[in-house]
Amino acid sequence: MKRWILRITAFVLLAGGSFLLADGCWIRAKAVLAQILLQNAWEQTVKSGKPTKAWPWADTWPVARLQVERLGIDLIVLEGESGEVLAFGPGHLLGSSAPGSEGHCILAGHRDTSFQFLQSLQQDDIIILDTTAGLTQRYRVMESMVHTAEDLYFRESASSSLTLITCYPFNTLEADTDLRYLVFTEKS
Amino acid sequence: MADAKNGAGKMADPGNILFVVYLGLVVLLLILSLVTDSYSAENADNRDEIRISEVRQGSLLFVTGEGGEKYGVAARLSQDVEIYISAMTARTMVRQRFVNDTDRWQEAVYVFPLPDESAVDQLRMKIGERVIEGEIKEKEEAKKVYEQARKEGKKASLLSQERSNIFTMAVANIGPGEEVEVEIEFQQVVAVSDAVFSLRFPMVVAPRYIPGAVVKDAGEQSAIQFSGNGWAMDTDQVPDASRITPHVLLNSKESLNPVRLMLELAAGFSVARVESLYHGITVNGDKERGTQLIRFDGTVKADRDFVLEWEAVAKEYPQAALFSETHEKDTYLLMMVNPSVADLAKEAPPRELVFILDTSGSMAGTSIVQAREALLTAITRLTANDRFNVIEFNSEATKLFDRAEKGDAEHRKKAIRFVSSLKATGGTEIAKALDLALDGRMDHKRIRQLIFLTDGSVGNEKELLATIHSRLGDSRLFTIGIGSAPNSYFMSRAAVLGRGSYTYIGKISEVQQKMMQLFQKIEHPAITDIVLKTASGQPLEYYPDIIPDLYKGEPLVLAIKVSQGVEKELLTISGRRDAGIWQEEVTVQTVAERPGIATLWGRKKIRSLMDSLSLGASEDEVRKQVLHTALTHHLVSRYTSLVAVEKQVSRPSEADLLTLPLKTNLPHGWQATKVFGGAAKTATPAQQRILLGLLLLLAASLLLVWNRRERR
Repeated sequence: MKRWILRITAFVLLAGGSFLLADGCWIRAKAVLAQILLQNAWEQTVKSGKPTKAWPWADTWPVARLQVERLGIDLIVLEGESGEVLAFGPGHLLGSSAPGSEGHCILAGHRDTSFQFLQSLQQDDIIILDTTAGLTQRYRVMESMVHTAEDLYFRESASSSLTLITCYPFNTLEADTDLRYLVFTEKS
Repeated sequence: MADAKNGAGKMADPGNILFVVYLGLVVLLLILSLVTDSYSAENADNRDEIRISEVRQGSLLFVTGEGGEKYGVAARLSQDVEIYISAMTARTMVRQRFVNDTDRWQEAVYVFPLPDESAVDQLRMKIGERVIEGEIKEKEEAKKVYEQARKEGKKASLLSQERSNIFTMAVANIGPGEEVEVEIEFQQVVAVSDAVFSLRFPMVVAPRYIPGAVVKDAGEQSAIQFSGNGWAMDTDQVPDASRITPHVLLNSKESLNPVRLMLELAAGFSVARVESLYHGITVNGDKERGTQLIRFDGTVKADRDFVLEWEAVAKEYPQAALFSETHEKDTYLLMMVNPSVADLAKEAPPRELVFILDTSGSMAGTSIVQAREALLTAITRLTANDRFNVIEFNSEATKLFDRAEKGDAEHRKKAIRFVSSLKATGGTEIAKALDLALDGRMDHKRIRQLIFLTDGSVGNEKELLATIHSRLGDSRLFTIGIGSAPNSYFMSRAAVLGRGSYTYIGKISEVQQKMMQLFQKIEHPAITDIVLKTASGQPLEYYPDIIPDLYKGEPLVLAIKVSQGVEKELLTISGRRDAGIWQEEVTVQTVAERPGIATLWGRKKIRSLMDSLSLGASEDEVRKQVLHTALTHHLVSRYTSLVAVEKQVSRPSEADLLTLPLKTNLPHGWQATKVFGGAAKTATPAQQRILLGLLLLLAASLLLVWNRRERR
């Protein structure tokens, strides 16, 4: 009788554990796999000059390609900032200027997948942003800052700037945090 | 026996123990690393505190190069508002006082809202004792006049319209320690619904959702000093984005732009109730007759609209009202008619309802929950007399029933099951859904209503609006905006073209109430296809020129122009109710003259002309007509501005002029994160899940090991 209970408990734990492990890994895997599909969609986008979805049921499309040579980062940026978008890669905030255009462009990404590398960025690192129009824009990292999400206030600047946002602190278990890590860059 | 068993257990132990110890160590290490991580993170936060608080001081996060001067201290603003309500119309005076406390010459730019359809016809600039009257000019010309004065060091003010309800006031050359007062005046019609009169005075421009891609030449536009001081850049869909998005003060403890208000209410009937919805007021005066004086208790932070409601004593509620003004030999009338209750009390004709639900990926999260809730509320209200269908769309559009079905218990159940199972994923192909929903038919034996729930995140607005316009038939389209930042522009335009209404549901707690309001309204038959003529059949120029459907409790309010020589003693209003005809006659007897009616007519005409733009009217033609109307009636419009310039030069040529846009308050109850994108969730629970998963697996293996030992 006791053994029976033990076994059931063990299997429940086993099943629960496997599910959580798989789900956690899936979140990460999705971010990696999606980027592979997105690289294709990106090539199509640049070739055709029209927004191309990476998969037919996608609700977003690639808007830029972001590279940091020093860190070996190569990411496709998607349009939008909803959870659905960020699951696959960094997203372009709808209210901000289009990537590569004059004005202030803001990108957000997950601190534990696409934008994990933000913590390794240093001053004067160069971020390369390719736009769908085939233009390449280089941005120099100016400074970084931690700020509470509630107080974020984005000013439109007339000069070209790019800001990257992710959650803060990095490497913590808590998924809900009020802090955001911001990296400010300017056209170089 | 027992000993032997134990011994056997011990024999098997070493391997198991090693395994357990190994796993335990791994977990311990993991936990330790996390603890230290979050510890150092806390330290980092403390270190950043100083920087954060520094940032708060200026309440601007972005200080990007070019010295901090760009973000200096702007002129202070305080406002006095005086509103005079007289029956159906209200005249408002807004006095904006700009005070420059700094030691620099300043140009102040203030973006502010006025009520929809407010006819702005006066601008006065007061410097000490001098008063300079504003002149109405073509927008470009007014801008030139202002720019010229600004450069020459003369005090000047320019009032321009950005949207039908958003204006910009620019005041140039306010000297150190100086004060400049500008006064604007406007005329408006009070709103009436369900026998409740109301007046809204907006005090803050809500940050807007700016969809679309940034327009390439936005930089050029913002080079002109006062055209681009907002926080968003112009986009292809919102070409004036930089002008309708003033900077917002985010530190809510501070209050900006305090407002004092004085209101005189001459309702024209005995008032049973007068109430301010959101602000504390003091009411003095005679309730029975005459005027009542209303004041704010102290000054008020300009972060939410002032709304005043008043009601007549039941027997005195006016069934019709008529006001008149003669302007350049033409007669202008403002008419209100309440269709008598008897006309509307009939049985409801059979209705056909089509619910259209957006289930695209952008609706994921709370939006789809809200939408489902709203739809379920609607479905449970159906009766067997109604016919209905449900269409859901994402990358494809799907109908629930092949054709509209009876709203009986069985079909309602099916629909509820269908709706409850809907999830948000995929693209937003609204066109496909519209193709299914709009049949383009005219059939007066039914009432066909489309209820469209979406966040409206679409790029091809123009095409969709054209589809709605051409295929509407006699259907009526009611749009319901869902989520924190729906594309209200698209949805309100769609509702206007669909001859229905637009409802915005921002929170799940509002679903029930808002849906009930909408359904109570559209369940009752409306009077449709209303036209107005003189008794002899001569047409009149009146606005709105396409009279909207009238629902229960809504009066008909029209601004009419009767050209000189046209017979005007008897007017006939007719429309269609159920399958029959509704008609009412209005006798225009000698009506007392009332100033401002012609202005209101002009404003309504401009509105109608501007609306025709989205139906494909030629911009040149519209511009010509609007210009003519605006200049005749001294009105600020998209193409005309009021400008006042002082004759004498006040700023010495060697002193620089600093241009600073004034910040406005964030609307009450708004969260900055929702507006500026800080709401983006940039963390995943992946690590949490993986670790918890590992822990559970560890626990399971421990149990299994123990279990095996027990067995032996």
